[in-house]
Amino acid sequence: MTNPFPNNIAIAGAGLLGRLLAWQLLQSGCNVTLFEAGSFTPSAPQTDRAAAFTAAGMIAPLSEAVVSDEGVYRMGQFALARWPQWLSTLSVGVDTLFSQHGSLVIAHAQDLSELEQFERELRFVIPQCKTYQRVNQHQIQELEPDLNPHFVQGLFLAEEGHINNRELLAIIGEEIILRGVQLREFTSVEVNANKIISSATEEQFDLVIDCRGFGAKKQHPELRGVRGETLHVETKEIRLQRPVRLMHPRYQLYIVPKPNHRFIIGATQIESEDRSPMTLQSSLELSSALYTLSPAFAEARIIEMDTNLRPAYMDNLPHVDIQDGLITANGLFRHGYLLAPAIVENILAHIFEKEEKVFSELLNR
Amino acid sequence: MSYIPTLPAKDFTLYGETFSSRFLLGTALYASPQLMRDSIIQSRAEIVTLGLRRQNPADRSGDAIWQFIQESGCRLLPNTAGCKSVKEAVTLAEMSREIFNTDWIKLEVVGDDYNLQPDPFGLVEASDILIKKGFKVLPYCTDDLILCRRLVEVGCQVLMPWGAPIGTGQGLLNRYNLLTLRERIKDVPMIIDAGLGAPSQATEAMEMGFDGILLNTAVAKAHNPPLMAEAFADAIDAGRKAYKAGLMQKRQTASPSTPTIGQPFWHQK
Repeated sequence: MTNPFPNNIAIAGAGLLGRLLAWQLLQSGCNVTLFEAGSFTPSAPQTDRAAAFTAAGMIAPLSEAVVSDEGVYRMGQFALARWPQWLSTLSVGVDTLFSQHGSLVIAHAQDLSELEQFERELRFVIPQCKTYQRVNQHQIQELEPDLNPHFVQGLFLAEEGHINNRELLAIIGEEIILRGVQLREFTSVEVNANKIISSATEEQFDLVIDCRGFGAKKQHPELRGVRGETLHVETKEIRLQRPVRLMHPRYQLYIVPKPNHRFIIGATQIESEDRSPMTLQSSLELSSALYTLSPAFAEARIIEMDTNLRPAYMDNLPHVDIQDGLITANGLFRHGYLLAPAIVENILAHIFEKEEKVFSELLNR
Repeated sequence: MSYIPTLPAKDFTLYGETFSSRFLLGTALYASPQLMRDSIIQSRAEIVTLGLRRQNPADRSGDAIWQFIQESGCRLLPNTAGCKSVKEAVTLAEMSREIFNTDWIKLEVVGDDYNLQPDPFGLVEASDILIKKGFKVLPYCTDDLILCRRLVEVGCQVLMPWGAPIGTGQGLLNRYNLLTLRERIKDVPMIIDAGLGAPSQATEAMEMGFDGILLNTAVAKAHNPPLMAEAFADAIDAGRKAYKAGLMQKRQTASPSTPTIGQPFWHQK
């Protein structure tokens, strides 16, 4: 009896979606060939690595719902449940990969109307939301003792979490190599149904999955890149338990604690496909926001300034297109780690013809 | 006099071009470009503004979004938002003329970084330079009469005084100054630019005789931006009709001047 499901599968793009899909498909016993235009190693110096390496890795369904919609919230809640399940199946168990201690949204006393606006939008998008509460100066200090004590009002979003994304990408990378993925780095490809064309060869597959992010722009001109810049700093003088979001009339930035006393602050959002280094203006905005969170950041060392392009469609919502021999998933915009579990499970449900195609109404439009 | 329905009249003239919509919409701050374009459609606007300061215009890195805005079919009004000096604003204006093939520019020279208040001195200087270079300048200015006169003297044929600082939604903060402007500078089209938060405020400005409304945040930050765009469009139409129809004079009837007939005398004091 022949296997009714595709067995020989090609994935284009070794960013977050590509790695997760390769991992899940290998676990299901498929043969997977993974094509990557750049280097497979996240730390390798290269100009166009996937947006997933630049992201801060927040799993923040409520905060992101405020800038998108209720569908993103539901997929985000799915992610909060799915990430720990997935990570528990890794052969190298790392318990620091995912943490869920909520997130804190604060504003300076002069900008409290920004906080009000945030809460209004939150209540509008998720009217029944019970997982957040207003916090006062005292409660903010209890949650994050190292924050500047002048923050008098905030919101605590209890269910939000974050992922140590670079570590995760590296670990899943090792995992899929261990499970026998066929890896083709430094290979730009053209993607077709059942067929991958590179400068060297043309190969046939039972199924091709295109998750190249902004790298697919040439083949999908309707995609656009949205520039984001992040600052990585290191200091032992301050500890944060959870991501903190600072509301400001000009910009809304978050700071996410990472292992080894590091912090990522980001990200700018500029309608531009320019991935050249960070501008001085952006570095001023990011670093002054950081400084006002706590003056102790003044002596933090700047480890890295990163720039990347978020792949987005004009509605800023993700799309998964299912065709014979070709699945295209793209447009995760600023919600990569939040949306990836829903998208991966949706694709797996299509491949293995499961009855319930999760989030089909949101993704397969 | 008989009533002849004439609206929407194509009687809004800016630099020799006529428009039927008196609503100019900004294209920043929307949750997605799609929502922005839906809002433009619902606003019935014929002119949209767009900023390019942070998009590395020299490399045309904003092409994807600019093209999408251009597809709306509206006249593009590039702005110099974010420019803090005359030189920056002039350079950006020249760049946007090249990219968008238009000599119209919404001139902003930012005087204060926090509330984005216009720098009146830089504004006059930059207007002068740009008009001499052949630009059609629409300056974002404060409601100061003397500033507005200076802008007209250097050749601005449109004025865009603020209602309140950008993004505040405060409405018409200084009605006295705005009325003074309207009374004293009658022959230059004036568009209230920035600071409006509610459609009723736009109606109020139009009732006062202002010629148009330019805004962005109030629509972009609404829960339902396209619906809010339509609400503003209707409000602007209502205010314009009211202005043309002529508002009645408010009356004071708190203390009667004559005995009120038909009321029992023991109720009369």
